[in-house]
Amino acid sequence: MTSVLKGNFAPKKDVKPAAKEQEDLEATFEASALKRLGGSIAFVSKKRVNWDLEDK
Amino acid sequence: MKKCLRDEIPMAKILFINPVVREEDVPRHVPYGIALLAAIARDAGHLVQVYDANAWRMGEDILRQVLEADNWDVIALGGITTAYGSAKSIIGTARETCPEAVIVLGGGLLTSMPRDMMAWLPAVDVGVIGEAFITWPEILEMVDAGDRDWSQIPGTISRKDNGALIMSAQRELLNDLDSLPYPAWDFFPLEEVYFKNSEVLFSEEGMLAQRRIDINASYGCSLVCKFCFHLGIAGDMRYEEDSDGVVNPRFDVPGNHTRTTRYHSPEYIVKMAKYAKDTFNVDYIGFLDENLMTMDQYSGRTWLNEICRLWHENGLAPKPEFDSDGRMTGWTGMYWSGTSHATLCTKEVLKTMREAGCSHLVYGYESFAPHVLKTIGKGASRKTNIRSFFWTLEAGIRPVPNQIMGFPNDDFESLRMSMEAWKELGIVVKPHFATPYPGSEWFAVFRKSIEEQYDGDLEKFILEVGDATSISAVISQNFNAVELIGLRDMMVNGEHRLIDEYEKVWRRNHGIADGEPSTLVAGSRK
Repeated sequence: MTSVLKGNFAPKKDVKPAAKEQEDLEATFEASALKRLGGSIAFVSKKRVNWDLEDK
Repeated sequence: MKKCLRDEIPMAKILFINPVVREEDVPRHVPYGIALLAAIARDAGHLVQVYDANAWRMGEDILRQVLEADNWDVIALGGITTAYGSAKSIIGTARETCPEAVIVLGGGLLTSMPRDMMAWLPAVDVGVIGEAFITWPEILEMVDAGDRDWSQIPGTISRKDNGALIMSAQRELLNDLDSLPYPAWDFFPLEEVYFKNSEVLFSEEGMLAQRRIDINASYGCSLVCKFCFHLGIAGDMRYEEDSDGVVNPRFDVPGNHTRTTRYHSPEYIVKMAKYAKDTFNVDYIGFLDENLMTMDQYSGRTWLNEICRLWHENGLAPKPEFDSDGRMTGWTGMYWSGTSHATLCTKEVLKTMREAGCSHLVYGYESFAPHVLKTIGKGASRKTNIRSFFWTLEAGIRPVPNQIMGFPNDDFESLRMSMEAWKELGIVVKPHFATPYPGSEWFAVFRKSIEEQYDGDLEKFILEVGDATSISAVISQNFNAVELIGLRDMMVNGEHRLIDEYEKVWRRNHGIADGEPSTLVAGSRK
């Protein structure tokens, strides 16, 4: 992964994000599904799930 | 603070951050203004780093790492109004992480409403109003000198010790645009992000682009479209004092439109394009200009002809390459695209542009209803919309016919007129919603109504307003948000029967008899 900082000198600390393959796959799936939303295409956005939901 | 090796003068260490914008799409455009200001700072000897948050889309953790990566003297952000939410979040984190850094905010989002922005963003030390080409290096010189009296620098808004805002004198526009350096494209993730998103689905050549870069050849627009904001860099801004003695920048208002037309020389433009080709192996150029045709007309019809002539002379005119089945696979040289105008384009210039590699031109046709077109300040008519459409196609260029609905006097008849034109001309379109962006004439006219729609909290509107593909504040005098969304869906699907049925309900609700114009706007159809 290359640095996210670009310029004309080397900063004291470089910033190179670690690869986040699992998250990327999930994000890619959800973005792709969102583009085709409608009809029988529906999906769960995992980050939005309220895991503490209780029956009222 | 570091010292410049050349002359041992302390020089500010600068971090530019490009906020996230249009999060629903991939990042497609190097932020041109930031890239220019980064080049100006670099050429003045400063130590410059850019974190393009919009390109990387990495989130809070990486932002904090960036802010902790060095001892930044200046953290600079800019953008258009729709970047406000991201800018606000970044600025808050920046102040928390870098309490000593000078935070500078500029661009359209600050310029359109500087006092509101400074109130909503208390961590900003100094705002740059309008064009920053002269103001920005003066701010850096002041930082180098260890001073903080921003009010001495024209074109700024800052805070007194007691927190009161102070606006300095208005900054003049830069006359000699060719004195600007080329944007510091190498400070942005071209290979990692932008070239991967080169595709522009407006033409076959745009779709096949592999290494696109954008350039800006002119500043401003001579037209007075009431939905447009020209960022205070088109001569559209003037400082006015209100009855309480408070000075504010003013932009287009009914009956008062000022303009300064500026453009780069054709030599500068083509040399910059050739530099992009030679340095980054660019295969496609997107002209960001508000409107190429207004510049061409202002130049006496010489500007575009000369750009095209030099494009050929410098070997930039594209030559397509084909596979054995005759399908285009690529090209040498560079295709390009930009913006045009229905009334100001000519058959001749379009032909010349195509021969130099122009693949598509964006037209803001907006509507095909004469009674709507005459209210929006576009200087175009149904007749010139249709004429330019065929001229462009005949030249071999794809016209990109933008449409808008929800104009103040749009009514059932105007919507049907546009639908008929789409059918006749083969236009496939999902119209934008007319949106009163800050700085536009319609923002000034409808501000009270906008605030009412957001419970009196204007910041809520600024946080919500997007690229007009979705609805925010409504300025239609005939339709509410629910109606506009429903009508757009019916228009896109050509559902005339459903529109006819809804018009009956609408007429009943508003007491408008059959045969009368379907409008609540007095005099709209005269």
